[in-house]
Amino acid sequence: MILSTIVFLPLLFALIVAVWPNAKTLRPLALGFAVIEFIVSLGLFQQFDANTASLQMVERYMWIERFGISYFMGIDGISLWLVLLTTFLTPIIILASWTSITEKVKGFHVCMFILQTAMLGTFLAMDAIFFYVFWELSLVPMYFMVGIWGGTRRIYATVKFFIYTMAGSVLMLVAMIYMMYLTQEATGHMSASLLEFYKLKIPFVGGTFFSLQTLLFFAFALAFAIKVPAFPVHTWLPDAHVEAPTPGSVILAGVMLKMGTYGFMRWVIPLFPEASEYWAWLFMLIGTVGIIYGALVAMVQPDVKKLVAYSSVSHMGYILLGLFAFNAYGMNGGLYQMLNHGISTGALFILIGMIYERTHSREISKYGGLAGVLPLFTIFFFIITLSSIAVPMTNGFVGEFFILMGTFKAQPVFAYFAVTGVVLGAVYMLWMFKRVFFGPQGELVKDEHHPLHDLNAREITVLVPLVIMVFWMGLFPNQFLNYSKASVDHLVNHRGSYNLTISESGSAAATQVSAEAVPTDVKAEATTPAATEAPAQGDK
Amino acid sequence: MNIGIGLSDILLVSPMLALFLASLIPLTVKVLRGNREQNAIVTLSQALLGLIVSAGLLMVFGGAGKTAFNNGLIFDGVTLWMGLIALFSAAVAMIMMYENPATKGKQFSELIFLAMSSAVGMLILVSAVDLLMVFIGLEMMSLSLYLMIAMSHEEKLSKEAALKYFILGSFASALFLYGVAFIFGSTGGTNILGFMENAAELVQNSRLFLFGISFVILGFCFKVSIAPFHAWTPDVYQGSPTPHTAFMATAVKAVSFAAFLRVIATKSLIGSDHLFDMLQWLAVITMIVGNTAAIMQNNLKRMIAYSSVAHSGYVLVGVITAGVSDDGAFGASGVIFYLLSYALMTLGAFAIASMLERSESHIVNIDDLAGFAKKRPMLSLCLTVFLLSLAGIPPTLGFFGKFYLFNAAIGEGLLWLAIWGVLNSVIAVYYYLRPIVVMYMKDGEADVAEYSLNATTVTVVVMAVAIIVLGFVSGPLFSAVEKSLL
Repeated sequence: MILSTIVFLPLLFALIVAVWPNAKTLRPLALGFAVIEFIVSLGLFQQFDANTASLQMVERYMWIERFGISYFMGIDGISLWLVLLTTFLTPIIILASWTSITEKVKGFHVCMFILQTAMLGTFLAMDAIFFYVFWELSLVPMYFMVGIWGGTRRIYATVKFFIYTMAGSVLMLVAMIYMMYLTQEATGHMSASLLEFYKLKIPFVGGTFFSLQTLLFFAFALAFAIKVPAFPVHTWLPDAHVEAPTPGSVILAGVMLKMGTYGFMRWVIPLFPEASEYWAWLFMLIGTVGIIYGALVAMVQPDVKKLVAYSSVSHMGYILLGLFAFNAYGMNGGLYQMLNHGISTGALFILIGMIYERTHSREISKYGGLAGVLPLFTIFFFIITLSSIAVPMTNGFVGEFFILMGTFKAQPVFAYFAVTGVVLGAVYMLWMFKRVFFGPQGELVKDEHHPLHDLNAREITVLVPLVIMVFWMGLFPNQFLNYSKASVDHLVNHRGSYNLTISESGSAAATQVSAEAVPTDVKAEATTPAATEAPAQGDK
Repeated sequence: MNIGIGLSDILLVSPMLALFLASLIPLTVKVLRGNREQNAIVTLSQALLGLIVSAGLLMVFGGAGKTAFNNGLIFDGVTLWMGLIALFSAAVAMIMMYENPATKGKQFSELIFLAMSSAVGMLILVSAVDLLMVFIGLEMMSLSLYLMIAMSHEEKLSKEAALKYFILGSFASALFLYGVAFIFGSTGGTNILGFMENAAELVQNSRLFLFGISFVILGFCFKVSIAPFHAWTPDVYQGSPTPHTAFMATAVKAVSFAAFLRVIATKSLIGSDHLFDMLQWLAVITMIVGNTAAIMQNNLKRMIAYSSVAHSGYVLVGVITAGVSDDGAFGASGVIFYLLSYALMTLGAFAIASMLERSESHIVNIDDLAGFAKKRPMLSLCLTVFLLSLAGIPPTLGFFGKFYLFNAAIGEGLLWLAIWGVLNSVIAVYYYLRPIVVMYMKDGEADVAEYSLNATTVTVVVMAVAIIVLGFVSGPLFSAVEKSLL
């Protein structure tokens, strides 16, 4: 039951917050709830078996029998860290929004918790339609978050965000329905279960766009590419980021973008192996173009938040590159980079939100000499900047290094170009850092009437866990990668005939539940020969 | 011809009889009281009671696939579900009439009588299998409606709407009847059960029959506002009192589609290339026209009117699916389920539009919703649910309606139509989001009208909850619909 608890606890919190009568205790209550959720999610470690690639803690009940749609949740090494990232960031975001969200506080926290449910559900759902419900549901609270608490052009940004994402995902829905019919053809009864989808052998013809697997591949890939966002369809992101309130930006950059890359790992690559391989050049290309283009555009931004938004495009390009390198380095690096980006870009948005609260401006040219006035803030900002430009010892280095190594191994040409992104990343971040923190004091900094105050205890509390994570992940990547290794290696080695089994040896409680729910179904899948654990490629 | 009317026939049509008798009560009471209106709540209760009794009888006697009156009427699953949707929509519309400034007060008994006789027409329409019966149902339903619209307390737009609807409606009925005449001429009968068996051959060989069936389809297209026969819809929907608009957009549309489904959704008919191509393009054009036109509207009712045109396009996809499928129950139950969800959400949206009208001639624009969320958080949340459901965002009922509809279409190989459908629902998101944007993200003083709105409020909240709850249990519901059609 732990997965259902993790997913639906925030929904319960949302309901409680919605009817909570006392406005003063609302924020502490919400914070407490978010911390409880985080602690509950830590319980995953107790039951999680890092040595198996199979699906663990499975819960499965029939939902819509007519179409074989089930309430099907499971976790493996790929989703484990993303779930924890979500639950880790939420209390931080709530604490960070303590003073920046002043209107409709109740509505904000309700949106936050509903969004958390939607995101966690997306990472844990193992049934196509069940997944789609969470995937689309996540749009609604985000839409309100940007639209109600956002900046001046918030309505344009939020509608653009909604329509872009929706446009991508409807074709995925059609593809999902089509695949449900394919399972019916293959097995005689319709199923929307991802595990059944994995077993499909979809005919692939290279060299033409109009072959079944290619079409399905693109229907899925488009939905996820928009969410990532990959280069030509990224234009909603800078708008949404800039207009979103700080917590909205953090959750968007920290978790929601990962829903796209997670989609590639969980759905696109294992479901359409031949098409993924055939079209890998395209996705590596748009990844590389995204890296360079994002970095170049970030460089010329006058608005520091927009700069970070474009840096997201650049960083997400790395993840795409890593995933489509199809080797252990690339995949592990891609997964690791998802977490890094969530931590460091999330932290950057929080920091920008803090300074914005003080000066109500994000224009780089109005700052300068901030280091002398706000020393603590400068230290934190510098650490996160280093993490963002992937300096060794910080988390960013590990991810980017693995990705580039994987790319060199797979497609050196793309790596040659992608490497320039490392330099460009340093250029735009450090240049921005120089203009904001050093040099003569800017008009906002030397303003006598509004002296700037350094970070207070609450803000330090917000930042410290993030900084700890930056170094922890940078110094001891194995502690994290060990949990995902089995799953990622399984994906890399058995990409061509990917198959996910349901773990029987997981926690007794979880197995019992699943066994009781649909004994025949689960056992049928569990008895299929478990894929042998191939030796891990590369030494991490 | 043997004209014997057995007890079973009477029992089968008992829902209609009950409804008809109930419709007479308010009118008779008014006459007996010396032409003085009785308390409106009493009138409303009598009407609702009549609808409930009728629905009960329909559930008891309908649905088994029996025919009555020499195969003139059939009582199968389509009759049952579409009849229930119509009766439910009529009930909600009447609750709205009770409180809307354009319809309450004087002449309420007459209005209720007309609405109920319109509902009788609807029940005939959903069960008719003879084209002449279809015509009788259609006319009974429509004539009452023309009068209802014209009876509005509003002086200008409603009269124009009534006249427009009357003239165009009569024209469409004439076309329909013209088509029936040709069918009679070429097959020697008007009973659908009779000529559908060899429809495939008739379509191939008899120009006359093809001509006739095309005119019949045109008549239906007008009634369910399929583009390019939709031009009356926005004007009539906007000009009519909002409760009547809700009534037309849901009950009338559902039953017209029921008859449409019954007449054309057979493989032998749609299986022929000519009709299939034509219907397919009509569906695509309708979706595009409805959605793109809705984007440009400022008037709330007019926007929902165009959106209802678009929804007709989606349903037509379902009708075509039901027609081409070997297993007719799946496609048809997709249509029924979609109309059920559509009825709930459209009724809800119109109910809230009705609550915003301060007087009988008050026109509600989308921008007038500014600040509504602050003043009435509950109602704006309900409207948000209705609009998101109309847009097809999970986990609302509207999403599952679309899911089953397009699922059936894809299952029958109509991938092309399904893709058009989902792309259109992306266009639609744009205008469905607009009222939400205005309500939540703009400052203003929007509020509901001052007069009492308790009944409508309760109905709205119940429907919003139903949309969410039924979304989660849509599976069993859909299976129940499908089972009853087998």
